[in-house]
Amino acid sequence: MEFAIISTLNGVTYGLLLFMVSAGLTLIFGMMGVLNFAHASFYMLGAYVAYAVSSVFGFWVGIIVAPIFVGVTGMAVERFLLPRVHAHGHAHELLLTFGLALIIEELIKLFFGDFPVNYQMPAEMRFSAFQIFGADYPFYRLFIGGVAIVMFTALWLLLTRTRTGIIVRAAERLPAMAEALGHNIPMVFMFVFGTGAALAGLAGAVAGAFYPTNPNMGLELGVIVFVVVVVGGLGSLKGSLLASLLIGLFSSFAVGLDWSLATLFSLVGLGDWARSLGGLMTLELSSVSATIPFALMLIVLLVRPAGLMGERN
Amino acid sequence: MSIDAQGCGTRTVTWEEKNMRSLVMSAVSAAAALSATALHAEPLKIGIIESLSGAQTSTGRLYANAVKYGVDRINEAGGFNGEPVVVTEYDNAGGSPEAADKFRQAVADGVDIIFQGASSAIAGQLTEDVRKHNIRNPGKEVIFINLGGEAMELTGDKCQFYHFRYTTTAPMRVNALVSAMKESGDLGDKVYSINQNYSWGQDMQAAVEAAAADGGYTVVDEVLHDVNKIQDFAPFVARIRSAGPDTVFTGNWSNDLLLLMKAAGDAGLDVTFATAFLDQPGNIANAGKTALGHYIANNYDNAATDGEFAESYKAATGHYPIFVEGHTAFAVGALQQALETVDFGGGDIDTTKIALALEDTTYESPIGPISVRKEDHQTIRPVVVSKVVERPKYPADGTNMGFETVKVIAGDQAINPVQDSCKMERPAE
Amino acid sequence: MHKLLLPIALLVLLIVIPPFIGIAWQNALVNVLIASLFALAFNLLIGQAGLLSFGHAAYFGLGAFAALHLMIAIEDGFPFPTPLVPLAGGAVGLLIGLIAGYFATMRSGVYFALVTLAIAELFHSLAPRLEDLFGGEAGVSSMRMPWSGIIFGSTLEVYYLTLTWVVLCGLILWSYTRTPFGRLTLALRDNEQRVRFLGYNAHSSKLIVFAISAMFTGVAGALLAISNETANYSLFASDVSAQVVLQTFVGGSAIFFGPVIGAAAFTFFSFLLSDVTRSWVFYQGLIFVLVMLYAPAGIGGVLQHHIRHRRQLDWSRLAGPYLVAILGGVLVVACVVFLTETVSILFGEHYAMARQAVAGGLPPYKLFGIEWRPISPLTWLVPLILLVCGLALMVRARRRIDGLWGKMGESKQATADVAALGGAT
Repeated sequence: MEFAIISTLNGVTYGLLLFMVSAGLTLIFGMMGVLNFAHASFYMLGAYVAYAVSSVFGFWVGIIVAPIFVGVTGMAVERFLLPRVHAHGHAHELLLTFGLALIIEELIKLFFGDFPVNYQMPAEMRFSAFQIFGADYPFYRLFIGGVAIVMFTALWLLLTRTRTGIIVRAAERLPAMAEALGHNIPMVFMFVFGTGAALAGLAGAVAGAFYPTNPNMGLELGVIVFVVVVVGGLGSLKGSLLASLLIGLFSSFAVGLDWSLATLFSLVGLGDWARSLGGLMTLELSSVSATIPFALMLIVLLVRPAGLMGERN
Repeated sequence: MSIDAQGCGTRTVTWEEKNMRSLVMSAVSAAAALSATALHAEPLKIGIIESLSGAQTSTGRLYANAVKYGVDRINEAGGFNGEPVVVTEYDNAGGSPEAADKFRQAVADGVDIIFQGASSAIAGQLTEDVRKHNIRNPGKEVIFINLGGEAMELTGDKCQFYHFRYTTTAPMRVNALVSAMKESGDLGDKVYSINQNYSWGQDMQAAVEAAAADGGYTVVDEVLHDVNKIQDFAPFVARIRSAGPDTVFTGNWSNDLLLLMKAAGDAGLDVTFATAFLDQPGNIANAGKTALGHYIANNYDNAATDGEFAESYKAATGHYPIFVEGHTAFAVGALQQALETVDFGGGDIDTTKIALALEDTTYESPIGPISVRKEDHQTIRPVVVSKVVERPKYPADGTNMGFETVKVIAGDQAINPVQDSCKMERPAE
Repeated sequence: MHKLLLPIALLVLLIVIPPFIGIAWQNALVNVLIASLFALAFNLLIGQAGLLSFGHAAYFGLGAFAALHLMIAIEDGFPFPTPLVPLAGGAVGLLIGLIAGYFATMRSGVYFALVTLAIAELFHSLAPRLEDLFGGEAGVSSMRMPWSGIIFGSTLEVYYLTLTWVVLCGLILWSYTRTPFGRLTLALRDNEQRVRFLGYNAHSSKLIVFAISAMFTGVAGALLAISNETANYSLFASDVSAQVVLQTFVGGSAIFFGPVIGAAAFTFFSFLLSDVTRSWVFYQGLIFVLVMLYAPAGIGGVLQHHIRHRRQLDWSRLAGPYLVAILGGVLVVACVVFLTETVSILFGEHYAMARQAVAGGLPPYKLFGIEWRPISPLTWLVPLILLVCGLALMVRARRRIDGLWGKMGESKQATADVAALGGAT
């Protein structure tokens, strides 16, 4: 019980962090059909910018500057780079963002080196929020979760309750019609791309102070974020939230579960036979917890490519 | 999505050049002294095949620095075979395929002895490459001095005559920790084992299980996890807590150790960590006060010596030996001692003779004698157990914390038995 | 007939020269050949069928492991000729390619890329756990066994074995594109719906292309295994998949031999530069993005464009502007390299140590054998001048070239290509 409750708490906060990063990715894809390979690099960029700024101006300035910087970078990419390859199709857009991811990662290594940088939360935030079964629960975890929830709510209200949101949704569904009505669609696209990038940057700035900030952080998170948006349904914000929580809870619980396929077989009395096979049969869930998300992604892609909440098309 | 950095270099160019220059300088003076005897002698060539780019650069760099320090000592003493010893660095970018590639490059350059330390996987690759090379090129054998590959199989299944392991193994470290912590009363009777899921971590886990009877503890739970992939160790800490251990044994290194300790600190988990790599640069600074009171078993600790070696290392390199630098310098020291017993009169270098001499060498390191066990070429060496304290003699990472020696276990007590799987073929004599 | 002249001359050089160039270069050539075959096989999918795979490392790695297991069997006495070991890589590549391809080709576009990515990641994360098949993190290793008098001990022997296989496979792949079925896959790329209306089964056609591509990728992996005599799970890593994407598109995916140009260029560059500069991967990414932006058809595409129009080109008038463009490109490259290397030194840890030594000041640093002062305006004026002059030259030349091509009634595409070529190579 103790393990279950703590794991649920940990899983939810980790899931909310995943959502912060994937929200921007899925927004951009839903809108423009571009699968942005550089998205996780925006997340990393956010953490490094926040680190650089906060070491001079303090933590909170870093948290504010990072998303703005990353958002402007995102807008520049959308404005000046993507249109050049647009004529050659989506594959080229994807390849371009892929190349950008490479450049961002190497630039960060050039400026900050190969090692983790010492990006820390301020001392006044380093306390335990409450005790549960004698274990301290760090406040900063709740902070990460809180930022994600505020962000989701704000985004949701913006898209559904404001005039800007109506235009954005119109531009997504019928860009030509929206343009004919006099809306500046390229502007809307740039705004959406910038917002998506800024969200990733914010996530990086917030999470970088808790998890290590190193040049591999984009790579490590990048693939998981793809899993999240695919499982949730490309382009669906609600789906991303659901999938993020699912993956977060799963990776939190998988650690404590020593299940294997052999355990499954022993339910029907074939346990010894399965164990004698070895290999895949005896792999414990806890040791393959990194594999399961990819298997899940594969299954979703093959069975229901629209994902959990995405629209079929 | 990315490509690991493959280059080593420019970042280190200026410094490298300086180092090269000092190397050349000492080489020149040594050569001048000896030029009367042999004009065109064959120099001994040493290749360092290390992770000089990619995620493990920091460790690879330390190994390379310490090897160079040791070779400088050899050259100061007049070099070998009438020539200064030549050192070349090869960057394996932290990967086995690249290491195989760089090994071929080293062979093309005529290297006689290779040194490598970061990663058992790469050591496994290199020892196989060396074995094959030596079979195919009799008379031109290459010696592999393993500075940090601690997987048991390197002196087990894969053991061979031209491989020498100048570091400890998992059982050596675990047994030393158990014996020292039991004496100081910090061990307790419930032990948890958390390790990385590959040969080194599996060896650690097996060693923790094996030492249970002697240590008088029970292993309450054990877990193997992915290597340097996990962002969030909180779930593992939750699992450790529910098992309620007194001591947590872990062979984790790099991020995996740092994050584990940070997560344990955040959750207020009250256990003692028994580690193998806590002295990796950055760990103490990052973990902060959380690190206090935890143990490490290691090859070397400045605080365990009279400080003479530490000072001379500092005089040459600008800092006290940290992490792997100490025992790496001793490996080169042992080589230097072995080289003094062979003489090729300025002619062709026979590496088999050097290997045989290395077998008979007992090197008096500042923490005790280091000798080679002939059956599997594991070194018999002392193991130092230390504890993190405030205001130590040698502070770590610019903090006010560092290591205090708890106990030095002598080589003959620390050593693990020869594995049955080692079938070494010796050269015909 | 003269069309074949160039390939034959190249082949003769590849056969005659290697014995005279030393082991290091022989080894580099082996790597170039393997990368070329990998890129060719990969390009069958994207260039012919329009399917972008982000997980070709899976079949490359599987080919390598299959070859190693066969080599271990040969070591244990299984009578199988060593030179035919790549067949095992091809067979396993084909088999797994059929299975994986069956699922992957159910999707297209971005979804196809994601399926292939997930499959490769699945292998990458599972392989270290499956000790029997992939040998844990240490991997599987074996030894090339002698066969009918050939010992396969030297790099030269391995080189000729690799060359034979790569040339053979290259020819098969090339002739495949000439078959009616090869033409059909081209149609798949351009208009899948039309193919379906013509009565062909699009899914099974795509599956066949996928399987063939995986098979030859497996052969390339097997050749790597023969050369290295070992493999571990890192062959499944995403950077292996990424590398082949980079090489193929920089070389040009629309031309059959384009990927070979990319593979050869990148492999040689990394052989020459990886020990000189650690910024090599950064340059690689920069080259890739510039090619994507300014010469989407790749280096091969630019070359082919010129070859196709060689009769109309008036080189007496074009040569001048082209030289100017190249000169401009060289200046810009020099500026970029200077700035990158300066950053990498100034932000490096050794410079930080040097700063500590002078109590926080900015000591001079060495680059290209010259001492530079970070605070001196000269240090920053040099790259600025390089950049301005380079860009000015390129813009000028581009206008001239534009005009000349325009007179020929050509599209402006080529000039953009040329401008990029100056900046990218």
